[in-house]
Amino acid sequence: MSTSLRERPATASAGNGGVPARRAVIRWAWRLFRREWRQQLLVLALLAVAVAVTILGTAIAINTPPPLNPGFGTANHLLSIPGTDPHLAADIAAIKQRFGTIDVIENQSIATGTVNGAELQAQDPSGPYGRPMLSLVAGRYPTGRSEVALSSSAASTFNLRIGDLWHQDGRAWRIVGLVENPQSLLDAFALVAPGQVSAPTQVTILFDATHASVASFHFPSGANIEIPSSSPPNPNPAIVVLAIATLGLIFIGLVAVAGFTVMAQRRLRALGMLGALGATDRNIRLVLVANGAVVGIFATLIGAAVGFLAWIGYVPHLETSAGHRIDALKLPWWAIGTAMVLAIVTAIVAARRPAHAVARIPVVAALSGRPAAPKAVHRRALPGLILVAVGACILAFAGGWAGSPLMLLVGLVATTVGGLLLAPVCIAGLAVVGQHAPIAVRLALRDLVRYRARSGAALAAISFAILLTMLICIIATARYANALDLTGINLPSNQLVFYPPGNNPDSGPRPGGPGADAQKTPAEIQARENAVAASLGTHDVLALDAADATLSQAGTRANNFSGAVYVATPALLRHFGIKPSQIDPGTDFLTSRVGLAAEPRMQILYGNDLFDRGPGGPSPSVVDNPKIQTFSNLDAGTSDPNTVITMHALRTLKLQSSLGGWLIQTARPLTALQINDARQMAVGVGATIETKSSQPSLAQLRDWSTAAGLLLALGVLAMTVGLIRSETGSELRTLTATGAGSTTRRTITGATAGALALLGALLGTAIAYIVTIAWYRSSLGSTVGHVPVQALVAIIVGLPLIGTIGGWLFAGREPPVIARQPLE
Amino acid sequence: MTTLELRGVSKVYGEGPTAVHALRGIDLSVQAGALVAVMGPSGSGKSTLLTIAGSLEDPTDGEVLVGGTTLSNMSRNAKARLRRRSIGYVFQDYNLLAGLTAAENVALPLELDGIGARKARAAGMAALEELGLADRASRFPDELSGGERQRVAIARAVVGERRLLLADEPSGALDSANGDAVMRLMRTACQRGVAGVVVTHDAQLASWADRVVFLRDGRVADQTAPPPGPESLLAPSTGQGQ
Amino acid sequence: MSVRHALLALLSEGPKYGLQLREEFEARTGEVWPLNVGQVYTTLQRLERDGLVESDDAAEDGPQKGFRITAGGEQELASWLRTPPDLSSPPRDELVIKVLVALRLPGVDVHDIVQAHRRYLVELMQQWTRIKQDAADHDLGLPLAVDAELFRLDSVIRWLDAADGYLNRAATWPPAAAPAASSLPKLRRRAGVRR
Repeated sequence: MSTSLRERPATASAGNGGVPARRAVIRWAWRLFRREWRQQLLVLALLAVAVAVTILGTAIAINTPPPLNPGFGTANHLLSIPGTDPHLAADIAAIKQRFGTIDVIENQSIATGTVNGAELQAQDPSGPYGRPMLSLVAGRYPTGRSEVALSSSAASTFNLRIGDLWHQDGRAWRIVGLVENPQSLLDAFALVAPGQVSAPTQVTILFDATHASVASFHFPSGANIEIPSSSPPNPNPAIVVLAIATLGLIFIGLVAVAGFTVMAQRRLRALGMLGALGATDRNIRLVLVANGAVVGIFATLIGAAVGFLAWIGYVPHLETSAGHRIDALKLPWWAIGTAMVLAIVTAIVAARRPAHAVARIPVVAALSGRPAAPKAVHRRALPGLILVAVGACILAFAGGWAGSPLMLLVGLVATTVGGLLLAPVCIAGLAVVGQHAPIAVRLALRDLVRYRARSGAALAAISFAILLTMLICIIATARYANALDLTGINLPSNQLVFYPPGNNPDSGPRPGGPGADAQKTPAEIQARENAVAASLGTHDVLALDAADATLSQAGTRANNFSGAVYVATPALLRHFGIKPSQIDPGTDFLTSRVGLAAEPRMQILYGNDLFDRGPGGPSPSVVDNPKIQTFSNLDAGTSDPNTVITMHALRTLKLQSSLGGWLIQTARPLTALQINDARQMAVGVGATIETKSSQPSLAQLRDWSTAAGLLLALGVLAMTVGLIRSETGSELRTLTATGAGSTTRRTITGATAGALALLGALLGTAIAYIVTIAWYRSSLGSTVGHVPVQALVAIIVGLPLIGTIGGWLFAGREPPVIARQPLE
Repeated sequence: MTTLELRGVSKVYGEGPTAVHALRGIDLSVQAGALVAVMGPSGSGKSTLLTIAGSLEDPTDGEVLVGGTTLSNMSRNAKARLRRRSIGYVFQDYNLLAGLTAAENVALPLELDGIGARKARAAGMAALEELGLADRASRFPDELSGGERQRVAIARAVVGERRLLLADEPSGALDSANGDAVMRLMRTACQRGVAGVVVTHDAQLASWADRVVFLRDGRVADQTAPPPGPESLLAPSTGQGQ
Repeated sequence: MSVRHALLALLSEGPKYGLQLREEFEARTGEVWPLNVGQVYTTLQRLERDGLVESDDAAEDGPQKGFRITAGGEQELASWLRTPPDLSSPPRDELVIKVLVALRLPGVDVHDIVQAHRRYLVELMQQWTRIKQDAADHDLGLPLAVDAELFRLDSVIRWLDAADGYLNRAATWPPAAAPAASSLPKLRRRAGVRR
């Protein structure tokens, strides 16, 4: 004992234990993590998921867009010469002489009989520049005069396999291989040996040259020289994903603070013991920070492994949908590295706060397991209130969507952080509420107030989840409720609109397919439309007439009228069951859009070339305050005739009407096969069809976000309530000993969950509304006026209800803490 | 040599009318090699006396000297260093850190003081061996019995060159045989030159001490005279036999 | 303490001389209860008179005289071992009487009196503990005998602690509500009901 250690290193005499002390403390933290990692499972899981999702997200975001400069290969210049050049061979020879090494690719369009074209392509597979644009899938490259290798889409178009004989333009080719362009998998082409294209439509020459030498060379007429664009897409998708990941990590950090606070509370006596043994404050902090670091590192490693495995598994699917080959290892390593470091830093930073709090507790108090007394409420409330106010001001003066995105970000972050700082204050308010409640509820609320550090962090996390949900909800609802800029599903699933050539409202006049070069007569088009209707087995066809007129709201730019305006022909009125007598005399427009008739400052814009007028052209004719009548009989889809101009207005304004399309309706929802057949038929005459879009509508988005936010908030709630209640296991034992049964236990857990859920829902919703009001302060009426009642009820009533009921149900079983008090 | 000296130590918790006077002007000195017991009813301030003597709390008034050095001017870190090197604690029921073996627990104060893990472990093993606990060295606290835990705690409290051993009801939850074993270890430690202070309300524990100080309402009410030696008990009628 | 039965117990192991009996008695009780020679012989004579032991008639009275237990003696020993000691009637404890007297005397600080006794008792316990501490490990009788004494003294100290507690509480009672004179009969009545 006193004799066992006489010597003491001189270096340690003045210091505070140095490296050996830190090592001992970290060793203990590591042992504790090994013993108690299950209690930190949720933080571990959240961090791991965040890292995995970030890796997958950046990988997809980076690899989904097509290659930046397809067609260049490795060359820095691309020269295309039309096949009509009379001195083609001489020109190529001249270019070769001037620039040395060149790679010549000859293309010839060939007819396929379908909307998709195909090309005969002569290229040297081992050419100096074009190699990245060609790879062999099966068989071999063509070498001889009559050999060809097909891309998979060409092979399927012509229904050919290796070894088959292919007759094209009077020549017979033997299929010797399957090839692809890794940069564009969907290209339909037939590769032949160089020089085998008899009449190229276009010749592409790849070469390396300096800017000056290109400028001084005289290229043949009609030639087009290109250099690769060097600017990557802006903003870099990896940065966007990383920014979102950072926001997510902030949220996870809040949950982690709650988790680590509970962990610190659990170890309070041990940490006090460490202090009594002579550990410095720094060493005590190090225990918790090391624990945070271990959690962060483990979660990050697990997340990275899961993310990479998921990515490797997903690459083949992504290649198919993106249409180009993907190098699975071509990842934004810097972004992934940053995300991993950020995850670890999040865990460490989250552990620092409880670490500092614990180190401040006097050793005597820590030894007896008493947490530090919560700080005075008014001191905590002020910074939060100031931040919310400042954030709201920044948002209000940020200038809307046209303003600075930096201001938006700063304002949003300030408001959010400020609101979350208010969480402990709200918790303190619970004490007042609970004073007259029954004992079990009072006990639950008092525990929340007493352990404000962790319940505050828990509340902040729940509020944050609700905040995100509410923001999406409010904005989506406001967007959905805009009568001018209608959003929603475009068409019901049993409707199809057949647009004649040049009349697709989405893409405008559209270059026709190969067969559409010759203008089809209206009769031919109508015949094709009849064929489509016949193939769908329906006679329910409504011809839609278009007029060069539309609605607009004066003085606004944001809320322009969207959608096509058709003519209320007698046939249309009959189709929707509107009697001419129902239309008030003098009415200009009929609409199914709710609220459109009440919009102020409406105008009719009209003119013969309303839609073809360029930006500098003359202004359209205007009629102010048209008379609009609402008919719910009209279809509501955005591509449906939801707003129609009356014959009366047409006559008054002396407008012509022209064929706009046909609305075809079937008894049952259209199948994918029917839609494909119809599309094929439409393509034949250069027409287009529109059916229900598979993209989620804003309403669906709102419902999903509400559900997802609720689930997220519930998950956080379950975790934090579990944590908080598991901490009071010994108190529960005392309660049980005094005769409290499972009902008391259930009530306590239920009240804890319910109180946290209600506060979280209220706080999150309040911040969301503050943010929205500040942001849209100019157009309050149309934005915040439309309250997403359903979502609000779901969140403010549903969440606490589910939380309470869940707490009540799951608290029935005795927690193992009670059965076996763990040794500390 | 006086290892621990309290001079007019007072401690007041809280302020105003709700203030609690835990200690009022305590004077106490403990020589090296002496074991002093502090007895008193609950609330007499005996635990506070121990935490103040061990630098875990600061006195409201008065001075504490450990090994001749006053604690009043020490920084938090200096106090921590003092605890690592000079003061050993044994608490009633909670002493060992879960997750560390008995040997690691004993070696912990040395490691915290900057001594390499291997060397500290060897010193810890030596301390355990001296207390007859060598076979428990690689056990974790939850694999030890209550008495063994307290004995390991004493080994940790005296490892290194500790001069002051402070114990708060060290056999609180133990049966009398285990309690005796704990007190026997404390006596052994004191015989090697450590100054010991045991706070207890149990006269049987206190009777192991060289001197018993009685605390009452935060004041030293009384203390025992130096013991006359065991012969006096047996003297009257055993003269010839012995 | 019954020397009579202790001697019977020793003789039940086999015939023994008087001096031997005294030495073995002291050894077995850890020398806590010292015994003089005269006491041993007086007791042996009484035992012989009652027919519980027999002596070697040939030998003279003195240390060399041997004794052995009779059948009657063995029976007596067996029944004595099973007979509980008389604990039902409280011993007239001098300390209790002193504290009760001090309560009634004006100008006496009962705490001081209690503390004086406590200090004396603790000092006594310190001495006993020192004996236990110095005892060899293989010795069983001595620690047991010392513990008996320690527990007895401890119980007295506990009673003093309890008395101190009562006094403290009595001091904080409102004086008008509980004058000392009226509280005592009340206590007695309650005690009577319980019996």
